[in-house]
Amino acid sequence: MSEALVIWERLSGSFLLNVELFALTLVFALPLGLLVAFGSMSRFAPLRGVVRTFVWVIRGTPLMLQIIVIYLGPGLMDWGNPWPSGSGGRLTASVVAFVINYACYFSEIYRGGIESVPRGQTEAGQVLGMTKSQIFFKVTLLQVIKRILPPMGNEVITLVKDTSLANIISCKEIIMMAKEYSAKGLIWPLFSTAIFFLIFVGVLTILFGALEKKMDYFK
Amino acid sequence: MALLEATGISKRFGSTRVLENISLSLEKGEALAIIGSSGSGKTTLLRCLNFLETPDTGRIVVDGETLWDAEDPATHKESEKRKKRLHFGLVFQNFNLFPQYTALQNIMLAGELLSKERPDYKANRKQIHADLEAQARRLLDQMGLSDRADHYPHQLSGGQQQRVAIARALALEPDILCFDEPTSALDPELTGEVLRVLRDLAAHKTTMIIVTHEMTFARDVADRILFMDRGVVVEEGPAHQVIEHPQEERTRQFLANYNT
Repeated sequence: MSEALVIWERLSGSFLLNVELFALTLVFALPLGLLVAFGSMSRFAPLRGVVRTFVWVIRGTPLMLQIIVIYLGPGLMDWGNPWPSGSGGRLTASVVAFVINYACYFSEIYRGGIESVPRGQTEAGQVLGMTKSQIFFKVTLLQVIKRILPPMGNEVITLVKDTSLANIISCKEIIMMAKEYSAKGLIWPLFSTAIFFLIFVGVLTILFGALEKKMDYFK
Repeated sequence: MALLEATGISKRFGSTRVLENISLSLEKGEALAIIGSSGSGKTTLLRCLNFLETPDTGRIVVDGETLWDAEDPATHKESEKRKKRLHFGLVFQNFNLFPQYTALQNIMLAGELLSKERPDYKANRKQIHADLEAQARRLLDQMGLSDRADHYPHQLSGGQQQRVAIARALALEPDILCFDEPTSALDPELTGEVLRVLRDLAAHKTTMIIVTHEMTFARDVADRILFMDRGVVVEEGPAHQVIEHPQEERTRQFLANYNT
């Protein structure tokens, strides 16, 4: 097998780690973000204050720093290291950092979406004898989803590229892998990582386009 | 005894008095029109009756059952509000149809959700659904919209949307149907079709409270008219009398702005 082929194969293999981090982040951050959104809209002022402050801190500091703090922080504070040793532990720590970070961004998108649904929709549900949860799930939710698809698409695309930040704690994702070659004087693998990101983002763009189209049946 | 007895209803928003000691009663089959300038508290009164606002004082009694008594905390339970609301229906100024459902689905949705609370729901699900759909189609037919059952709200004109909203409110068979300026968001050429439906409902002795700026309509269709100004009832009486021979100076001033 030619060397180039081996390199392509290793790049692809390491990109799976980016995809894994991407998928796990979405699976946990999408629902967690909704919880955070409810917290930031709570009528109970102390809870609202705590949640909004938390969101401010997370959105106000670099994700790269958050990854480092979450991975190394507990050990440095003498709380004992919660992360298993080896690459599995580094990935887990990265997932936790990404989930917290993205849940906060998603929560603001959810909040904007929920608040943009006219008050009259809820009131119409109320006078028709619906419960709060019926109003949320049967009336509001789909309208929220329709409204948040474009900003969500944006955020999800950003996430694809952010996954390479995990290399700060030596998660062997694609950029890290390619840099090993550039350190040896072989530069093309690093440049060609762009192709992986472009294809992945291309697929997501088509997917989001299709979803938005699916929601076109109502206004 | 009257079907609806509301007594001593007051409501403030902050330091603004919106309603001041309002009382009204309504017999079964009666149509009451509430008129008055913007900001007179008409809409807030309707919202209090539908428990979208909480009155600061007063009582609301429907069919002998006390739904709200500001003095009696037992009537304030949040959990019972939902059922109490079902005595009233409310048609909004700007329709508030659910955009993701067709006309037919809009009319059926609440009924379907309520039917799930019935003990026989599991056993008779198909029958219940069929009954609800038959009722919804009957209502659409009554509104002259049989051919619009599968249209989404954005595919309907304002007048058609409002008629669907009326059908949606009627589907739950409320004791009292309230209308909050049902034609104010409509182009003049579309108000007629909605007013026709209201006339028809009045002719069939539907118990209604209609907040409106359509004076001719109020005079011809309502049994009684209540004129509100700055949160108080200024004048109340038989419809023709209030419009044609108002007793109060304030009512005369208000009506002078309309060419009735």
